[in-house]
Amino acid sequence: MEEKDWEASSSSENEGGFPNDDDEEFHSGGSVPKLQFRVGSSKARWITELGMAEVEVKRGKLWTTTGIIRSGKTYCFIEEALYLSEIGELQILGNEDDIVIPLKDLYEKIAEEKSGCSWENYEVYRYLKGLGYILGRHGVSWTLKDAARPNGEEESACAGECPADNDTVTKLLGDMQICDAKAVFDVYLPNSRFKKSSPGEPSFVACFSGDSPPSKEDIKVLQKRIAAPLTFCHIAQGRASFFSFSSIDLPVLS
Amino acid sequence: MAPRWKWKGAEAKALAEPVSKTVSELRSSLTQTEALGFLSSCNVLLSVESEEAELLDRCCFGRLVVGAEKDKRWIQLSFEEAFFLFYKLKCIKICLHGRSLENEVDLWRSMSSFKQDFAILYKAYSHLRSKNWIVRSGLQYGVDFVVYRHHPSLVHSEYAVLVQSIGGNDRLKVWSDIHCSVRLTGSVAKSLLVLYVNRKVNTEKMNLPLCLEDYTVEEQTIRRWSPELSREDETRT
Repeated sequence: MEEKDWEASSSSENEGGFPNDDDEEFHSGGSVPKLQFRVGSSKARWITELGMAEVEVKRGKLWTTTGIIRSGKTYCFIEEALYLSEIGELQILGNEDDIVIPLKDLYEKIAEEKSGCSWENYEVYRYLKGLGYILGRHGVSWTLKDAARPNGEEESACAGECPADNDTVTKLLGDMQICDAKAVFDVYLPNSRFKKSSPGEPSFVACFSGDSPPSKEDIKVLQKRIAAPLTFCHIAQGRASFFSFSSIDLPVLS
Repeated sequence: MAPRWKWKGAEAKALAEPVSKTVSELRSSLTQTEALGFLSSCNVLLSVESEEAELLDRCCFGRLVVGAEKDKRWIQLSFEEAFFLFYKLKCIKICLHGRSLENEVDLWRSMSSFKQDFAILYKAYSHLRSKNWIVRSGLQYGVDFVVYRHHPSLVHSEYAVLVQSIGGNDRLKVWSDIHCSVRLTGSVAKSLLVLYVNRKVNTEKMNLPLCLEDYTVEEQTIRRWSPELSREDETRT
């Protein structure tokens, strides 16, 4: 029977993503890239009060899956701006001048967490984006036809917050539950025909629960308000791991 | 994860001999012979005829203690298995220090005093058994139980089961526990199943098996997701 020697039955085929020796290649990580812009890279201007960059020059196909559109203009969040800067596709200019903001300053902005994205959030963004996944802030629409420049009133740009339901104060209070877990990114499978105007349902929502795994209650709170499957991300020493916690009902056998 | 049958005709054999049917046979056989078990601090030793020993094996209750006796067989039962046969199936009797424990309250108290987590582990065990899953010890996989769709000679176990309770053990409280459990269960081709046994506060019945009615069981699987293996372009067919 299998119980005799379980070590002998261990195989890399048993669970995808777990080779027998070292799984270094299955995790994100690596050194910080040098800032080397490609010829003809896009340009955006950082807008401090928004905590976002307004794209001024768009080059390449990458904008079909990056940035949100408001009143015909494209804005990108700090994680999008930093990722594109790292790969040399976007130059971010200062608020009042045309000086390119160095990576160091962008990393500082992430570290301060004032723009709705933590370093852990960014590591997951960079990792999945590098694999071709399409990521957007959870609860933030890709396009809003009649909206002016994005601001806090229009919808929540902060990680993990849902757009406010303005029906009644009572409903809002009723829905409020203390929850350590946060939904951060809507994630779509790589899709060469992706359209911001009709993105469809995300493949899953990337969630974070901090230093500890999510509690059963936290998962329930999030799942109650999010239709898509939840995937919890854990970052340690620059490695990203992903787990799904699914409620099931074992079948009654004959 | 689909069931992994051990040989070609195993699935057909399992369908032809459902576990529930074999358990019914065992129940009537043990009731007739008034099988008697002896409670110790860590298990119950059950004395049975060779025919019943075979039935117990087919239902996967206990482990045979190898002995020289020809007509008698000794089966070593875990507390959960013994209490299930005694309380749920009502087909065995149990003695402690030569005295027969006539009611379930005495046995419950004795087992609870020997094993701190007995209440929640028994609730989890009976929950799985009631769904006709075969439940075995998961000790060598670092979990509480492993469960099989049918007899282990026919199929590999599908789930490694961890039993959690509020205010109980502190497993899966840190990320390294999740990594460890998921990795180990995955490496032996099982899924990690967490059973949350929740208790509605009712201290009066704390020591009685009646308190089992106050427990609810929720099932949750935890799986590691690999972005590298899941990134097929949606536009491809």
